[in-house]
This record gives sequence, C-alpha cells and structure tokens, in this order.
Amino acid sequence: MTNATLDARHSPANLEDILAPDGSAWNEMTGEVIALTPTPLDRQPSAYVQAAWKDRNHGAVAAVTVQAIRNDDTLALRLQWQAAQPKRSIDDINAYADACAVLFPANGKDTDLETMGSPERPVVAWHWRAGTDAPFSVTARGIGTVERSAEHQLQARSRWSDGRWQVVFARSLESDGLSLSGGTDIPIAFAVWCGAGSERAGLKSHSPEFHQLRIN
Amino acid sequence: MNTAVTSKHQFAMVFDLNKCLGCQTCSVACKTQWTRGNGMDAMWWNIVNTIPGKGTPRNAFELGGGYKDGQPVPGELPGKAEWGEAWDFEYDKVFFRSADDDEDNRDYLRPRAHDGKPPRWGPNWDEDMGGGEYPNSYFFYLPLVCMNCEKPACLEACPRDTIYRRDEDGVILIDEERCHGYRFCAEACPYKRIYFNEQRAIAQKCISCFPRLEAGVAPACVRQCPGRARHVGYLDDPDSHISKLVNTWKVALPLRPDFGVKPRVFYVPPTMPLAFDENGDFDENQSRFPMEEMRKLFGADVEQALATVESEREKVAGGGQSELMDILISRNWNDMLGPYKQDPGKLVRPPRRGND
Ligand code: SF4
Ligand code: SF4
Repeated sequence: MTNATLDARHSPANLEDILAPDGSAWNEMTGEVIALTPTPLDRQPSAYVQAAWKDRNHGAVAAVTVQAIRNDDTLALRLQWQAAQPKRSIDDINAYADACAVLFPANGKDTDLETMGSPERPVVAWHWRAGTDAPFSVTARGIGTVERSAEHQLQARSRWSDGRWQVVFARSLESDGLSLSGGTDIPIAFAVWCGAGSERAGLKSHSPEFHQLRIN
Repeated sequence: MNTAVTSKHQFAMVFDLNKCLGCQTCSVACKTQWTRGNGMDAMWWNIVNTIPGKGTPRNAFELGGGYKDGQPVPGELPGKAEWGEAWDFEYDKVFFRSADDDEDNRDYLRPRAHDGKPPRWGPNWDEDMGGGEYPNSYFFYLPLVCMNCEKPACLEACPRDTIYRRDEDGVILIDEERCHGYRFCAEACPYKRIYFNEQRAIAQKCISCFPRLEAGVAPACVRQCPGRARHVGYLDDPDSHISKLVNTWKVALPLRPDFGVKPRVFYVPPTMPLAFDENGDFDENQSRFPMEEMRKLFGADVEQALATVESEREKVAGGGQSELMDILISRNWNDMLGPYKQDPGKLVRPPRRGND
C-alpha cells in the first residue's frame, strides 16, 4: 500500500463554497484514492464482538477518495466513497448510520494507529455520522477509549447522490485542538463505517497506515 | 474490562409466579417513574409476558446472546416492529370532536401505530393465547426486569466499558454519558432487557430504581405490586427472604439457566392445576403445563421446587406450620421488602422540577 501525500492547496474560495460537498472549489483539487481494509477482528476489545462477527464480514467500503483544500483561515477535507445502500440516519432500533472519520496523532507528529493511540500519544479524530447535524471531535488513548467532544471550530456537510457519499470536514486553522499551522506534513488516516452492514464502533474499514497531509 | 463479580451486597429479587396477576401494575409503575423522557415512549423496562407466548420483543428468548460453554453467543437485535411501538389513542378525535359529527360514526380510543394503521405487534401481544387444548388449557404470567446478572453478557459485550456493576449492591448500570449507542449489549442480553433510545442514540434499561434503593425504598415495581408477588433483598444475607427462597428452600429458580448469565432475579415456578383425563377426572400424575417446557424455562430443579411448594402447602392445609409458606404469603407485606422498607411518602423530598 503506498503512502499518499495529500496536498491542501490554497484556494480563494470562501468557507461556504468549500463546505458545499459538490461545490466547484473541489473540482480543481486532485484526489487521492486511499485503500481501506477491514479492522482486524482480533483487536476488537470485546469477546462478544469477536464471536458475533467471526463468520460475518465487516469493512465493506474498500476505498475512499480524499481531497484537501485551504483558504486563509480554514482547512477542509472532502471524503467520497461508494454507498449503493446509504443509511442516512439511525431510523430503527437495529439500524446503524453511515459514518466516516479522519484521524491524526494529537501531537501532529506520531502515534500508534493500530492501537488507536496510547495514553501518552493520543489520537484525535473528526467524526461525522449520517443524520446528525454536527460532527464531533474525538480523542482516543487506546482501543475502546474514544471520548467525544463538540469542537466549535469543526464543521461538516454531507451529500449522498448517485450511490456516493460526499462529506466535507472544515476546521479553522487557528483552534485549540490539533495544530494545523502548516509547514510540516501531518500524518492522517481514514475510517468509514457502512451502516447497511451494521458497522459501528471498531467494526469499520480503515487505512491501516498513516498518509501525509501537507498544508501549503 | 470491568467484569469484577464482587460487590458488597448482591441485590436480588424473587418473583412468585403463583401470585402474579398479570395486571401490569409493575410495568406502569416503572413507566411512570422512569420511561417518560424523550425517545422512551416504547420502552418497558419492566414487562409481564404471558407464557406460552412469544414475549417482548417477539421471540425474545430465541434471539441468542448469553453464553454457551463459557463462550459468548451471538445475538440478534430486532427492530421496533418486533418490540412494539408506543401507540396513539386518538384522544383529540374522541374528546374534542364536534357535536355535529355523525352519531353513527363515533370514535373510540382505538390504538394506532405511527403509520395510522392498527397495531400489528406489541408488548405481551399474546396475552389471550395460552396453550393446550380445552379443558387442559394453561398459561401463567412472567414478569421481567433486568436481572443484574452475575455474569452480565451486556457488560462484557460493550467494547468501551460503558456498563458497570455497582460496588454496594451489584446493580448493573449503563453510563448514559459514555454510551455511544453501539448496541452490542442489546444483542448480548439473552433476556432482551436493553432498549435503544433512537432519539438520544443510547442504550437504556431497568436501573433497579437505584435512587430509591439508596433512600431505603424498594423499587417501584415491587412496592406497587398488588399481587404481592415480589420479594427484594440481598442474596448474600442468609436471613433474607431471597436467600431463604433461593438457597434454603430452593424454590426460587433462575429463568433460562442455560443462558449462562447467572441472573439475580429468581422465580417461584407456578404450580399448575392437574390435567383432566379423557373421562374428565383429574389425572393425579399430570400437570397441565408440559413439564418439558417448565424445565426449559427454569432448569432441571423445577420439579423438586414445585414438589416442595406443594408439600409445604399441604402441610399448612393440614393445620401445620411452614416457614416457606409464611415467607411466600408474607402476611406483613413489609417483610417482602428486605432492607428497603422505607415508605417513600415519609421521605423529605426535594421540590419537583417543573417538567417532571
Ligand atoms: S404488579 Fe405484581 S401481580 Fe401485577 S403483573 Fe406485576 S408482578 Fe404480577
Ligand atoms: S438481564 Fe440483560 S441487561 Fe440485565 S444484567 Fe443481565 S445481561 Fe445485562
């Protein structure tokens, strides 16, 4: 699997244009196709989950196309993936919504992605779930330790059409969370949950290694 | 993982199925107390099902979960159509209809599902079904709450340690702040006692009225039971009704012990009437309820438990004394409440909040 470098090139577009999931600002940006694989079942921190999914596939989404863009004060990422049977909300007791996330080392440099971070080197993630208005920011210090928090500087917009999700995350460059000040490459990873396949929690497709985000 | 089985006390209940009336007062007591919030309309943390019947949700005990040979058994989580939704009773139409409305077409409080159609399923839907062929028809009522299991499949299924056992009494609780709504717990509970709040995207279940317990008050379902079918107390206290019924007299049994979760709600199995033979006489050797099904529900010890109850009953009928009958009858109702005898009406309570 090759390690992609995602260029967040400067754009004169304003925030609204960038947030539009099918907006023209994105047309000019090259996309990277990131291969995704199912998370290893033996890493699920619950014997029940391991037993229940032993004979059942997860990690249905095999690839996500990612683009990055920046203007004077915002960084945005657009994730696109195929979803023939979208789950746009949790509309029943046994329904799970489609979702995606972008992960970074909290220090902007390094962490262990396989274990979802460690107590010393947490992972931060931006998490979007279909049917909810606001994305949330997540911190994890190991598998099963995800803590959610609302991050006011983080926004997301989504659109599903023609069998495909388009999700844009946008965050101001200056914010308390992860430093996006530019100049260096930030490791970045991706995860997608297929609601139609009852994927949730650690049952997802992910990029098993970090790629690089370059904020120009 | 937070799987410690130790707690200072072991909170437990015994439901006497010979006394349960199937009145659902317990269910309504719980509903009124706990499940009136957003997204909780269709929740029945306490429900009483008619046996034989498919239960709540439909086929509740055939959906997997629990353990077999110590290994977790995959479970299914049915959708809301299988649990039964909260019905609308068209109150507006009935109470506020115009006087000019057609007299022949009077509305009444008809239940409606969300799609406006008559309901097709609901909690205890098989209320009137029963089993057997007349005159050997049979049924009984089976109340269900969270069993605060010693080996809680729900707790062990959660990948993020959201469910925990209280140190003071072993009550199993879901931390709503921590819950991300993954619902592995709901799949894993073999009694299907975990509900999902769609609006809040969290799992919720019976909390054994823990705020009442902390004030020395018995759970609402226990205090309000007109059948006086419910005993509450500590399994680890050898003098408690619970321990006497479970350990000393061995007449209170776990439901579906094959589920492997070691529940801490125990049932005094129902002594059913004798069957009629083909001449219309009682068949002294044959209960109306098939013993095979009784064994499936309460395990291999059920025959002995039934025999003990019957023989102690006969003893008292013959003028004798029986500690077991005294406990089961509990002439002084407060005796059934173990350490939770406090009358909630006598507590000094904080003022009600506006939206309660
Ligand atoms: S309130 Fe008591 S008698 Fe009535 S259904 Fe519940 S357990 Fe049975
Ligand atoms: S009855 Fe179900 S929800 Fe309650 S502790 Fe046991 S497994 Fe958990």
